[in-house]
Amino acid sequence: MTNKFDIAALVDDLEPVTALNPRRPLMIAAATLAAMIAVIVGVQGIRADVMAGHPDEMFLIRAGILLVLGGATAHAVTSMASPSVGKSNNGWQIALAAAVVFPLSALIVATTGDIGPAMSAIQSGMRCMMYSAIGGLATAVPMVLALRRGAPTSPSRAGWLTGIAAGGLGAFAYNLHCPFNNVVYIGLWYTLAVGGCAIIGRLVVPRLIRW
Amino acid sequence: MIAREETLRDLMTRAQGGDKQAYAVLLEQVGRWLTRFFAQKISPDAVDDLVQDTLISLHRKRASYDPARPFLPWLAAIARYRWVDRLRQTYRHAADELQDQHSEGSHEDVVGAKISIDRLLHQLPEGQAIAIRLVKIDGLSIAEACTKCGQSEPLVKVNIHRGLKRLAALIESE
Repeated sequence: MTNKFDIAALVDDLEPVTALNPRRPLMIAAATLAAMIAVIVGVQGIRADVMAGHPDEMFLIRAGILLVLGGATAHAVTSMASPSVGKSNNGWQIALAAAVVFPLSALIVATTGDIGPAMSAIQSGMRCMMYSAIGGLATAVPMVLALRRGAPTSPSRAGWLTGIAAGGLGAFAYNLHCPFNNVVYIGLWYTLAVGGCAIIGRLVVPRLIRW
Repeated sequence: MIAREETLRDLMTRAQGGDKQAYAVLLEQVGRWLTRFFAQKISPDAVDDLVQDTLISLHRKRASYDPARPFLPWLAAIARYRWVDRLRQTYRHAADELQDQHSEGSHEDVVGAKISIDRLLHQLPEGQAIAIRLVKIDGLSIAEACTKCGQSEPLVKVNIHRGLKRLAALIESE
């Protein structure tokens, strides 16, 4: 066949490699998330109800959905580093569908005129976005490094998912401080935080991982 | 004869460990498999280039193979990515060509546009599929295509532009 020369060159160039372990970037991302939580709690403080051991129901739902969204999407991202035709990584879609309940509920409630502190607490909302973005950036680093070492075959999707994962995990970290339980506030600001990170991921990550 | 999945998997695992003899056998076998794989999807004169590109990708990305999983689906994913990349290059050429107002595609453009075109064209809106078929496959000029399909000149250009973009997206999402 015509590629005999190329094959010989490739064989000469062979060095042992360690197969990618998708758990490794996930564990690093988890450790980064823990560090981000420590920073946010240290700088901003933790919610009073969590501190008292009686967390509000809305906080628990929000925290759970953000953690599942971030975790499932991060898992999908690291799986994309090792491609395989027919491999299914659709858990993130269910998590994302569950998370969409917040903006939808916010929209429905807002139409009744009851927007709570969603607009009056803009400073807090901006802080939510800023900390989510910073936390997201930190957790995105191990995911992007895994993608760069691996062979992601859908760079655009990998970009979206990295952004959603980073935004979800970053927002989870900030959520431990965020004192608001209003659904319109959560639907507006947390959606902007995760959505903004997703857009940044889509714009930036594909350029870093194309091969 | 091409080795079976179990053999290829074993060879790849040994290659990841640095076994050059196993790697040489693997690349030879993979080369044959890829030649057959691409033969169904691209014109014969483009197959060798694509096989070599894919072998180089396999070499560069060999750490991304998980020895606990089957080898051929991993190889197929790598091969398909290189194939999509080729289609994207064709799309970029086609976009430049449209901006230059030239209707005659280069041989490479036409080859690229033929990649899996029959299977994918029916997934496009009719106007886009007709425009791509007339100009990119049948080789008509934009003006001839306008006369034949009844679309205006700008519409034919837009339909080709959007259709090729959508084809690339369709392949990536599969």
